[in-house]
Amino acid sequence: MNSMPILSLITFLPLAGVLLLFFLPKESKGLLRSIALIVSLVVFVVSLPIVTGFQTNAEFQFNEFAPWIAAGPFQMNYSVGIDGISLWLVILTTFIMPIAILSTWTAVEERVKEYMICLLLLETGMLGAFISLDLFLFYVFWEIMLIPMYFIIGIWGGKNKIYAALKFFIYTFLGSVLMLVALLVLYFKAGAGDFNLMKFYELSLDPATQTWMFLAFALAFAIKVPMFPLHTWLPDAHTEAPTAGSVILAAIMLKMGTYGFVRFAMPLFPNATEQFTPLIATLSVIGIIYAALVAMVQEDVKKLVAYSSVAHLGFVMLGVFALNQQGVAGGMLQMINHGISTGALFLIVGFIYERRHTRLIADFGGLSKQMPVFATIFMIVTLSSIGLPGTNGFVGEFLVLIGAYESSLRWYALIATSGVILSAVYMLWMFQRVMFGELNNPKNQELKDLNAREVVIMIPLLVMIFWMGIYPTPFIEKMTPAIDKVIAYSKGKKLAAALQQAIPSAPGPAVMQPAILESK
Amino acid sequence: MSAADLWGIMPLLILACGSVLVLVVGAIFPRRYGTSIGVATALGAGLWMLQSPPAVVTPTLGIALTPFARFLTVVFSMTAAAVLLLSHDYNRRRGIIGEEFPACVLFAAFGMTALVTSTNLLTLFLGLESFTFAFYILVASDLGNPESSEAGVKYLVIGAVSAAFVAFGISFIFAGSGTLEIASALRLAANGTENNPMVVAGWGLILVSIIFKLSLVPAHLWTPDVYQGAPTPVAAFLSAGSKGASIAFLLLLLPAAGHTEMLRAPLWWLSLLSMLVGNLAALLQANIKRMLAYSSIAHMGYVTLALLTGSATGYRAAAFYIVAYAAMSLAAFGAVAALSPGRGRDLVLDFRGIGYRRPLLGGILAMAMFALAGIPPSAGFTGKFFIFYAAIKGGEVPLAIFGILTAAVSVYYYLRVVVNLYMHDAASVAVSEGATLTETTALGAAAFVILLLGVFPGPILEMTATLFR
Repeated sequence: MNSMPILSLITFLPLAGVLLLFFLPKESKGLLRSIALIVSLVVFVVSLPIVTGFQTNAEFQFNEFAPWIAAGPFQMNYSVGIDGISLWLVILTTFIMPIAILSTWTAVEERVKEYMICLLLLETGMLGAFISLDLFLFYVFWEIMLIPMYFIIGIWGGKNKIYAALKFFIYTFLGSVLMLVALLVLYFKAGAGDFNLMKFYELSLDPATQTWMFLAFALAFAIKVPMFPLHTWLPDAHTEAPTAGSVILAAIMLKMGTYGFVRFAMPLFPNATEQFTPLIATLSVIGIIYAALVAMVQEDVKKLVAYSSVAHLGFVMLGVFALNQQGVAGGMLQMINHGISTGALFLIVGFIYERRHTRLIADFGGLSKQMPVFATIFMIVTLSSIGLPGTNGFVGEFLVLIGAYESSLRWYALIATSGVILSAVYMLWMFQRVMFGELNNPKNQELKDLNAREVVIMIPLLVMIFWMGIYPTPFIEKMTPAIDKVIAYSKGKKLAAALQQAIPSAPGPAVMQPAILESK
Repeated sequence: MSAADLWGIMPLLILACGSVLVLVVGAIFPRRYGTSIGVATALGAGLWMLQSPPAVVTPTLGIALTPFARFLTVVFSMTAAAVLLLSHDYNRRRGIIGEEFPACVLFAAFGMTALVTSTNLLTLFLGLESFTFAFYILVASDLGNPESSEAGVKYLVIGAVSAAFVAFGISFIFAGSGTLEIASALRLAANGTENNPMVVAGWGLILVSIIFKLSLVPAHLWTPDVYQGAPTPVAAFLSAGSKGASIAFLLLLLPAAGHTEMLRAPLWWLSLLSMLVGNLAALLQANIKRMLAYSSIAHMGYVTLALLTGSATGYRAAAFYIVAYAAMSLAAFGAVAALSPGRGRDLVLDFRGIGYRRPLLGGILAMAMFALAGIPPSAGFTGKFFIFYAAIKGGEVPLAIFGILTAAVSVYYYLRVVVNLYMHDAASVAVSEGATLTETTALGAAAFVILLLGVFPGPILEMTATLFR
């Protein structure tokens, strides 16, 4: 279909950029920034053909395969490919990276070279994890991601940076090492051989094994999501990280966790998934309500946004575990929405922090008079985060709640709905305290409105907010077949028989049918 | 002695003659050619092994150039060469003078080579004791530093006791079997029964000795003191070479033994305690060399986890780990050595901001820390992966889970070094001028091996796969 190794190209182009940066003098900061930005933009442009060339079906596409480690009993392969689920996460990653690099254009003045190297390395790690179809390869990329993020928080972070960086690293690492053990056990249960994901999908495991395997995988992913009560690293990491770090962390890295559930934990262990659905749903709903309540009392804008992340990811988890078309599609959509809206919110917090070097709500007030452009953008992003109809947040949350309501998680959906209201409360209250009221702080009276660079950063995000809010069909359409496949696996049906017949005849939502026909 | 015999012992001859040559040349041209001759000799021995035909057997000498011997001789020769390169400028800064230093390094490499090439329990014992003997001198070679002498005495006493145990153990096995051939002695002594008292006593005594050498808990207490007191390149050599050779010692005996089920229980506990105590104690260390000493205790615990499976997979994983751990130790201790100016305290806190003042050395030290913590893509990750692979394949799932949790704990102290390197402002502590050419060569090679084994472990894995069936 496509002879260009396009996935490898986008994954390793940032790495090539890193090598290039190594040879540049550390004094020429402008050059370093520009090269990093150009590399990330090139990656974004190169990644676009995977959308246009994507065939709307459940198969993995743009596959590449090469033996990697082949010695004795070991067969690890470089096997990559994308389906409708990873497609949008890959695009989200390549889309957010240039924005993240631009966001700290002026805020990071020290060690620019190392900073840009870390950002590009991070991009390689994240893209690699999203496209891996070999469990060993996935694990390697999953771990590689930690190192640059650890440095980004620890070197360029705020006051408590070292504590936050260590907490982030150890928390995530602890989860993933147990996943490694589970992965090995799974490998031997599958009769050794290679680590090909497709092979593991076909496996029938006894329920007891599934329980343990699921717990180990779920722990790794739940820490990353993060789910209540494993979320405590997140507010620290988010608050201390520089803006670009927070944006990437919120927009992309947290999705690793939810993606891990959809791609690995659920389809690999269907019985355990069924068994743990009430627990996960309970934790998700607790997360939604708890995080919303905690966000309400925050005095620091960035912390507030961080807690709102926990609540939003609770919705994603609830939708994904509803295990029906609407739920999973809503969850997937909400992943991307959250990437855009919360990414934008962190950028906004970055803008005012750069100007005032404080993030306390009490230090602001009446900014809308001084910064009208900023106020407009902030308002749109806030509404999108709340999920106002017409913005992206609405579509995702709505589908999640519909899906959950129609599944066995009806009561959870009802409680979660109150989370939507709570999110409106804390976001609007924060917005009101920061933007409206008296402009009585003399320091705030001298604030300058957004400059050209800042507006340019925000425009693509605003476009996406409305596009996904008004016309989400193209996004959902491409996901649908892959989602059906995940649901089929996660409900324990075997692909070979079930999927071939089930999908074309399945009474799925209307959006998917024409797409299937077109591709035939 | 035939030509074949001569061929077989050639690597040993090269190393021994090189060692003597260093001393002789040193008497005529003091302090000039020691390191160069030493490096040339070590590399020469390694290259000889690479080109020599496999399976040259010299029964009269109890030596055979098996694939196992050739593989590890190359590893230990390279390690010795790297240690010599690292010590050249370190010794100059520290005022450690004299040709006995390179001579002893070569002699230790000689002992390790004798050990891995042996087919006979006596040669095995001689190899083990020769390299330990060289370390008695090396550890105490920093004459101006009282800690070095203290370390020397500690190491000597422990070493002497452990030598006695291993000799006694071998005598039991000899008494039980009537032969010193490794391949048959253990099996004959066992005489078909699993719990033959002669073999149990023999193994027990050998184990007592080898847990000192591997510094497994509860025989680990000498390690931090010796590592701290010894000159840093010597600590690197202890960690990379001596530990590796001690693993090789077990790798020679265990596959030949047939019945290893009785060793499972003691090795299980030794592994568990070493992983636990090593990693927990390392959390508390302020001195980086002591921290690395405790970390080496933990790493030997991981290796024991692979060994106790009693399977070829486990032995392969251990053999792979010898190479991986040698590279990581050389990089970690080597960077510490290259950073230390004259008399340093080697505290973790002294490394504050070094990552910016000495980017190359700081970078290699950070990389070694990530590798030791087992984070991909590094030799530490692949090495640990193969160990846990073997453990889970061998059914040791609980111990594997325990081990991997302690590995997660270990991340904290490895990262503490990285935190100090990059996330604090510079300390007002003197550092060395930066890496010299010799140090850069050795560290660059170690870093290269760490990455190579992390990204493309295939070739070395294939090699280890041919060693055990």
